[in-house]
Amino acid sequence: MRLIMIGFGNLGRAFGRSLLEKKEFLLTNYGLTPSVVAAVDEYGAAVDEGGLDVKKLLKTAEKANTVADYPARGKKGRSALEVIEEVEADLVFELTPTNIKNGEPGLTHIKKAMMAGRHVITSNKGPLVVAFRELDRLAKQKGVEFRYSGSVGGAVPVIGLAKKMLAGNMVHAIRGVLNGTTNYILTRMSKEGAPFDVVLREAQELGIAEKDPTLDIEGTDTACKITILANAVLGISAKLKDVKVVGIRRIRPEAIRLAQEAGYAVKLIGVAKRDSLEVGPKLVPVGHPLAVGGTLNAVTFETDLAREVTITGFGAGPRETSSALLGDLIDIHTALGD
Amino acid sequence: MLVRIEMELEDVPGQLVKVLDPISRFGGNIQNVVHQRDRKTPLGRVPVTVIFDVDERARLNRIIAALRNMGIRITRIGEREGMVKSIVLMIGHIIHTDIRDTIDRVNVIRGVMVSDLSLAMGAVGEESAARATIMASDEKRARAALSRLEKIAGEKKLLMITSLEGM
Repeated sequence: MRLIMIGFGNLGRAFGRSLLEKKEFLLTNYGLTPSVVAAVDEYGAAVDEGGLDVKKLLKTAEKANTVADYPARGKKGRSALEVIEEVEADLVFELTPTNIKNGEPGLTHIKKAMMAGRHVITSNKGPLVVAFRELDRLAKQKGVEFRYSGSVGGAVPVIGLAKKMLAGNMVHAIRGVLNGTTNYILTRMSKEGAPFDVVLREAQELGIAEKDPTLDIEGTDTACKITILANAVLGISAKLKDVKVVGIRRIRPEAIRLAQEAGYAVKLIGVAKRDSLEVGPKLVPVGHPLAVGGTLNAVTFETDLAREVTITGFGAGPRETSSALLGDLIDIHTALGD
Repeated sequence: MLVRIEMELEDVPGQLVKVLDPISRFGGNIQNVVHQRDRKTPLGRVPVTVIFDVDERARLNRIIAALRNMGIRITRIGEREGMVKSIVLMIGHIIHTDIRDTIDRVNVIRGVMVSDLSLAMGAVGEESAARATIMASDEKRARAALSRLEKIAGEKKLLMITSLEGM
């Protein structure tokens, strides 16, 4: 299968490494031989319709910080849109940074790829929270496969569990701890009794929180995931602005202690139901499946037949997320019966 | 009916067994005993809560009389038939926005009572945190109490954190 990779930052590179690591595995188990025919970043592109050498691609990206320096086949200034339109390929990975305002540039990349008849895999939340329905319809209309497992839960197969394994169920509600950064901060506050700012700084030093942690701590990232789950699992045409959001900035260690005394932990919980979408700090009974610590994510599906099903795991990190990307790739390969 | 009796016991061996005896002897079916040794009163007594089921008031009266005759200090008796308990955290300028008023406005709802309040004061100028336990006679009243409190929290710019179970 010929792949185009749009975006070759931490995630793109981690995915490249897992393609190398899993080369034999994919061939033996699925008869799948992925070939990266193009990689694009903000500075340019590397294109070889016969297949780029992923090892060389990784080395180039790490040394020159752009794939455009790829020997002979790299070209500065060549844009993603040009590559999507001009390079013969089966599937496009859209892995550019998330932009929740208008979904760009990811949104245009995905649309262009679908119009060109290419399957699309993304972990980019931006296009999904802005135009989920539109993209879903376009994919169907163009007869291409569209997967976005990595956008929610990172390595935790949240969407796949609901859409595939629980396919015979009516999902009534989805509740989850969907942001590792805020869960880490709340966990540390509860263990150390340390103030929010101190723990946030610690999380930034450890690389768990970003330099600008606003999207995480204000609950926006969780709200994005709730929006995607509402669309993908509950079938609601929801947008990010439909989610009522409260962040964790005002949580104080004393409040966490009061909660602990009554047998509760304070967690940032996202809830998606057919009549309401919300994100906010909640009291979760100690021992409840959602009372996970550290950077863990956990999601509970409340269903008619299976009742409650909870899944837990590591929600973030490039290597973890490449598990979701690779899963999507295999899923499409299998769906196509190649 | 489900009855909840809160007592304070002397911290000497054998006290707990002594109070449980009349409850079961007079027909109470004990459901839960909470013995809070780590929360002694200033006089060194141990708070104990016993929840039991008893089918008629006469039996309950005999149980209470027996406990009082034994010199047990009973701090609260409540019938808890179908009582719904909600725990709520609040963060903000709780005292300066008149905590008395906050509680009163919840308590005026029929069948609703703020039964416990714990407060952690912030440093000067900083926000405080409070945990309230709200008892309501049924689910509907519990929801009414929470939505009243939510409205008050909105007015007073308090962050209200409810339990996941209620979502």
